[in-house]
Amino acid sequence: MIKKIDDLNFYELLEINPRASSQEVHKAYERVRRIYEPNSIALYSLFTAEETAKIRQKIEDAYRTLAYDDNRRRYDRMLKEQEETPEPEPLVPAPRYERHYQPVRPAPAPQTHEDDEPIPVEPLEAHEDQPAPAPVEPVRPAPAPRTEVVEFTGMAIRVLREQAGLSIRNVADTTKIGSRYLEYIELENFAKLPPRAYLRGFLLQYAKLLGVDPERLAGDYLKRYEAASQKTK
Amino acid sequence: MIELEEALRRKEIWAIGGGKGGIGKSLITGNVGICLARLKKKVLLVDADLGGANLHTTLGIGLPEMTLSDFLNRRAENIQDVIIKTGIPNLSLISGAQDFLDAANPNFSQKTRLLRHLEAVDVDYILLDLGAGTTHNILDFFLFSDHGILVVLPEPTAIENAYRFIKSAFYRRFKKVVNHQGIKDLIDAAMDQKNTMGIRTPFDLIERVKQLEREVGEILELEILKFKPKLIVNQVRTKHDVQIGFSMKSACQKYFGINLEYLGYVEYDDCVWQSIRSKRPLSLEYPYSRPSRCIERIVHNLLRKEQLTPTMLY
Repeated sequence: MIKKIDDLNFYELLEINPRASSQEVHKAYERVRRIYEPNSIALYSLFTAEETAKIRQKIEDAYRTLAYDDNRRRYDRMLKEQEETPEPEPLVPAPRYERHYQPVRPAPAPQTHEDDEPIPVEPLEAHEDQPAPAPVEPVRPAPAPRTEVVEFTGMAIRVLREQAGLSIRNVADTTKIGSRYLEYIELENFAKLPPRAYLRGFLLQYAKLLGVDPERLAGDYLKRYEAASQKTK
Repeated sequence: MIELEEALRRKEIWAIGGGKGGIGKSLITGNVGICLARLKKKVLLVDADLGGANLHTTLGIGLPEMTLSDFLNRRAENIQDVIIKTGIPNLSLISGAQDFLDAANPNFSQKTRLLRHLEAVDVDYILLDLGAGTTHNILDFFLFSDHGILVVLPEPTAIENAYRFIKSAFYRRFKKVVNHQGIKDLIDAAMDQKNTMGIRTPFDLIERVKQLEREVGEILELEILKFKPKLIVNQVRTKHDVQIGFSMKSACQKYFGINLEYLGYVEYDDCVWQSIRSKRPLSLEYPYSRPSRCIERIVHNLLRKEQLTPTMLY
């Protein structure tokens, strides 16, 4: 389903996964903000200055919402409720991108953001369109956890990598580990893997990239590695 | 190299276009072809730039005797008659039209005959080097191919033309899947950026179509998802220029709703200019230069169906 830019939620706007870590949110914000800078030549002839300004404002809103845990939790809850209650057909189509564009907000917030104290985010725009959701029970399920890994086997590593949306090539480019070794790690082709000490180094690096506990991943995997090499002896 | 072998089975047609002239389409086509030929793939290059053919020059071949116009005008019955050897193993070429003024605008039956014959040629890859502009012929070749590749320079003029090309290409595709004359007219009208109906973006168009006929609008939405042009940024001088590819990807997603795949970039280097001056292909004259390496990387991305990701830049 394709979505107009006005209908994108904050995660889609920043081009990140709803489970992205706060570090990823920050990086994505830096990246997307640079794309929609005034005079960005990549936008040339597509968006008018007015539209770009509007997108930029929305990016700022997105960052201020997702960068702070409390705000993000509130926003996630709102998204979830929106999902559950199917959107009613809008009776009056919202005037979007029309000729008589009216800025929604007053002057944009200052551009500096990093060291600012958290700016309290007022009810989000989307709220305004909808009846205020009745306060549901405050306990919210933990922010969508990744599949809990019991043991880090080659297969598990592969699943984690795919969940993170990374290809072998991506991992190889970031970690500088040869793509062949990455494949052997996932296939548990122990005979072809380098000596234990090197392998451990690879695993630690890979784990960091996947955002899992490096010691646990390396420990689990090396146990399997040793068990296999015992057998062959 | 592990999964490369499997990627290299079926015949694929790649079209290289971009809207603006002089942005390196022929250079990239020629050198991508050489790169594939080196991987022991049979490659046929077709200079579909009917108005200003010069793909043969980037390969260091003199003016060929038989060209595409001979085929289009039936002076040559079989496509094999106009295929010439390039001197590079596995690489052959159909040179562009040289003499025939009207050849720049072949009619529908000439085009279908060409495409039918191309389908039958025994090669692994056919690379179509498209001309500048957004005429129907160029768009048709682009849409017909398995992969449409756009070349841009990190300059506003080239980027503007690339967006116009994308827009023209998929509006043309829209028109092909729609039968309803009223909707065809609507699409034509939407091409005009200053149309009076307030249709600014493809989303506006689809909304309007849905009001007329809901089902047709949904078909168009699917078409948008299927349309995945690829992008190469040529003459990259700084890291900032590399970034432009990602920016265009994001802008395309948000403006058109289409998924532009960022295949790679080619670094700027004087050796490209020198190789053209000496009429020798870049990949043979300067195989270890940075632009040659960049082209190799692009070929690998194409074969593996991968693209650049922003994490590579950090």
